[in-house]
Amino acid sequence: MKTFRLDFSLLPLLLIAPLGPADAAWLTGKVLAPDGTPAYGAMVTVTDAAKARRETVYTAEDGSYVINPAFTGTLTIRARLSGFEDAAQTCTPNPDQIARVNLNLKRFPSIEAASDALSAAAFNARLPWPDVKRDRTPFISECNYCHQVGNDTTRVPRSHSEWMATLDKMEGMLALLSARQKAIVADVLTRGFDGRPVQAKEDYGVSPELARAKIKEWYLGDGMTFVHDSFVARDQKLYGTDEGHDILWVLDRSTNVIEKYPLPDIDLPRGGLFSGLQLPIGVFTGKHGPHSMAQTSDGRIWITNSLSSTLMSFDPRTKAFKTYPIGLEALYPHTIRVDRNDIVWFTILATNQVGRFDPKTERVTVIDLPSGGPISLITKLSLPTIMRIGSWFPDQALHVYLSTHRIFGYSVLPFPYGIDINPIDGSVWYAKLNADKIGRIDPNTLAITEWDTPAQGPRRPRFDANGVLWIPAFVDGVLMRFDQSKQTFAKFKIPSVSPGEYETPYALNISPRTGEIWMSANNSDRIIRFSPVRRTFMNYPSPTRVTVLRDFSFTNDGVVCSSSSNLPAYAIEGGLASFICVDPEGGARDREALAARAN
Amino acid sequence: MDVAKRPLSANLFATLLVLAALATGYVGLSAYGYLVPAATLLLLALLIWLGRGRRFFIAIVVTNLLSELISDLVLLLGDGLGAYKLDISGVAMLINLLVGGPLLLALSIPLLATLWLSPYLRRWMDARGFAHV
Repeated sequence: MKTFRLDFSLLPLLLIAPLGPADAAWLTGKVLAPDGTPAYGAMVTVTDAAKARRETVYTAEDGSYVINPAFTGTLTIRARLSGFEDAAQTCTPNPDQIARVNLNLKRFPSIEAASDALSAAAFNARLPWPDVKRDRTPFISECNYCHQVGNDTTRVPRSHSEWMATLDKMEGMLALLSARQKAIVADVLTRGFDGRPVQAKEDYGVSPELARAKIKEWYLGDGMTFVHDSFVARDQKLYGTDEGHDILWVLDRSTNVIEKYPLPDIDLPRGGLFSGLQLPIGVFTGKHGPHSMAQTSDGRIWITNSLSSTLMSFDPRTKAFKTYPIGLEALYPHTIRVDRNDIVWFTILATNQVGRFDPKTERVTVIDLPSGGPISLITKLSLPTIMRIGSWFPDQALHVYLSTHRIFGYSVLPFPYGIDINPIDGSVWYAKLNADKIGRIDPNTLAITEWDTPAQGPRRPRFDANGVLWIPAFVDGVLMRFDQSKQTFAKFKIPSVSPGEYETPYALNISPRTGEIWMSANNSDRIIRFSPVRRTFMNYPSPTRVTVLRDFSFTNDGVVCSSSSNLPAYAIEGGLASFICVDPEGGARDREALAARAN
Repeated sequence: MDVAKRPLSANLFATLLVLAALATGYVGLSAYGYLVPAATLLLLALLIWLGRGRRFFIAIVVTNLLSELISDLVLLLGDGLGAYKLDISGVAMLINLLVGGPLLLALSIPLLATLWLSPYLRRWMDARGFAHV
């Protein structure tokens, strides 16, 4: 049962309220479990009438919540806790009104309903791999690359031939499964996703910190929007690269206004240098494929354009773009960072290189990274030519008929992926996703040293303030720590939310305020916070099912932001991509503000 | 010399070409584009085994060698060609696959050298009246 009443007794206090958005309503109440006990750690999500924005807080131990959303009108309030059916209702509180809304969670009416509420992790954990180590590794590496497999869009039962056709489509988008791996994956998905409900108890855990947090989401574009990375610039605006549509989205969190800036055109076909791929029509309409962002001291934001193999600057003051070609044999510029001398560094994923760009001289230097053996070297050297041949036959994915990955699998391309700058000595470090290595580039001599990582799938690493490199291992579901001074790795297994499930950490960043690590966990709809001091993980369950987050970026006020970036966006609950920010103290501030008004 | 007797070099190269065809064909089972050079390698093995089509045989091997050479030179030195660089190397790569692919390249120098230097193999491939195929 849900109760909703407006509390007018507190109305006079509104005049002295020191905090909270002007004219916004206050919502407070309790969330109870079906047995009447307080629901601790439940998400209370308020959505505006236009369904353009959402804010979420977590209930405290007594089941209470307070939220002061930054919008008014007819609001939808939903309580969600793993293991229970959502409770929701709408209300239209007047501005500055305090509305009491109690929500009672219910038991699921059927095992199907309970199954539908589970994360993708619950489903893909039960896939019947013949050999988990051998066969699941390429599946995680290649099939969880851009999206979840196991959510309600991707676990639809299909025949073996239908799965093979789906995998053909994925291969046309640069998934690198060998023919053998592909057949195994198709077989396993055919048998594993049979439409039958799954029973699992997913426990995201609770903690006092959880009840202090607040999550804000701003929806973007439409169901085809693919915002790859987000980045908090020095103006504190949130920038998002729409890789599919060649758009730079800009959110001003202080006004909640979202603007979009189309990238300048380029003389290339749809898909840029990758026009031979089978990029999904609708999702990929662009030519540049803007991917990752970093900012130099002059304020310019630098963008890697993955599909056009260009570097692009955006001046937030003049809104002007400028394009810098990297070269036709430097395919898929990827993650980008700026060092303390304002030199721009970026990985070049497909051709195993790192780019160095000096904005003063506008000179690009492409550094070839060590190859992973003769097959890898031959593949790398022939790839630009093969992609060129493919571009003569747009959207046909003919490159796969010539590519060595069909025989040797994804490891033929090492894929230098994430990159970061060591704050202690200015050295440039990268992670090779498919080769399970990290590497260091001396910024002066360009000498390269590489290390094997103890876990598979190092993806987007970052340095902490002490020069320790933290690395998410995507395939093994591990957080790694590399201490350069001692040349040692440490591993921390990311706890799953249910026994037998696995996690796919994509990216992380270290809070400049607390030194804690914030990390995406793209298989189970949560954001992870790790304390390097206590060596403990805690979860922030996402209010949105199918949460796939990319890079994390911090605001000056301690908020961590990312982009909800599952490909395609229409598979995300609500059907749209979004900017998403976690304010670790946002919920506590709402509580304190309301308490201050009451006193 | 008895032209009816197949020289040892013909046996050797036919065997090597068949092995190269099998290896390329195995790759082609996964990446279908390599079935084309596998078929070409088999054809060359057949020609050298039967001792026919010397000029055609040489033309294939020389084209293989030249296409790879052009591709490598363009990739190494062709930055001034701009976007045409990859077009040229692309055409060269497709031609190279059509005429036997990378494994024939590995055999091309010994094959051409033997055909040039060894009268036995040359006579074997000339004497059967199919110099022009």
